[in-house]
Amino acid sequence: MILTGPQIAHEHALGRLVLDPFDEEQVQPNSYNLALGPALIHYTGTVLDTRQENAFETTTIPDEGLVLRPDRIYLGASVEVLGSDHYVPIIRARSGAARLGMFVHVTADLIDIGSTGQSTFQLHAVQPVRVYAGDRLAQVTFWRPRGKVVLYTGKYQGSVGPQPSRIHRDAPQERA
Amino acid sequence: MILTGPEIVRQRRLGSLTIEPFNSRQLNPVSYNYRLGHTLRTHRAAVMDTHAAHELEEFAIPDGGVVLQPGRVYLGTTVEAIGSTQFVPSLIGRSSLGRLGMFLQYSADLGNLGACHRWTLEIKVVQPLRVYAEMITGQVSFWTVTGARRPYAGYFGRIDEAAVPPAGLLTEPTARLPLPVPHRTRRLP
Repeated sequence: MILTGPQIAHEHALGRLVLDPFDEEQVQPNSYNLALGPALIHYTGTVLDTRQENAFETTTIPDEGLVLRPDRIYLGASVEVLGSDHYVPIIRARSGAARLGMFVHVTADLIDIGSTGQSTFQLHAVQPVRVYAGDRLAQVTFWRPRGKVVLYTGKYQGSVGPQPSRIHRDAPQERA
Repeated sequence: MILTGPEIVRQRRLGSLTIEPFNSRQLNPVSYNYRLGHTLRTHRAAVMDTHAAHELEEFAIPDGGVVLQPGRVYLGTTVEAIGSTQFVPSLIGRSSLGRLGMFLQYSADLGNLGACHRWTLEIKVVQPLRVYAEMITGQVSFWTVTGARRPYAGYFGRIDEAAVPPAGLLTEPTARLPLPVPHRTRRLP
């Protein structure tokens, strides 16, 4: 089951989910809107490798915004710290962003129960699009789990700002 | 509701869901990590046609990995056979690959109740990316259902190799289609 907007606000008040900062105006019928923070990461290499550390640069989105190019993946982050030890968050684009050809994640919409931090957005644009810090590009929903809960303790716990892939740190069989 | 990791293990022991082979180290809080199989397939046609048959190229991923190029669809498979008659699977890529611009199951992430097979993975990349066989590639989750169930009668859910729609699949009712047969592929040297 998915939490309604009023239930998200209620569970937030009870401390059973984290949305910080929390603004009542961003509560939607069954989701909560997330804002894009000012930092963007892009990789500097031409061929990325899942077994190597991939060099990257971090830029701050200027006041006049920044145009996302279609041939790159950009990593941004939510302004909000989010997570829950009781519900499973799923993030997705707001339709207003998707209608401009923007992806806010390219595959991983599911967030582990017990994971808390600023959520990294996997930003991709089908056509060039100018974005600004503070744009409310994404939304998060909360889903009820069934079964015994074991909380996330993975390598992206407590993320602040966009986090590049740490897949190269994997032992032969690690997760997340 | 979505099953937690421990509940996935419990339901698998009860025979309510299939993940084979299974390794408890690949378990997550609300999902299970699947791996990429050893072969990838690409479309031969420069322009695909929803009403036509689709010829595929197939190649094995070498030990040194293979660089996926933007602008192409790659079809892979999971190492694991995955399915359930009791819970609905959904399958995504892991965030560590999304962060490198790898789209996985970018549109059709929802499985069917009753289908059990090695999933065909839909892959595309934003930037060139080297990938390796048997790497942990993403997560499968399982969702509880409500309502009566009908037996699976679909097409893809019985196929263990990377499969494309036969002519007619996108226009005809599934029941009128012939049973799945292996697709014609040309193995690259």
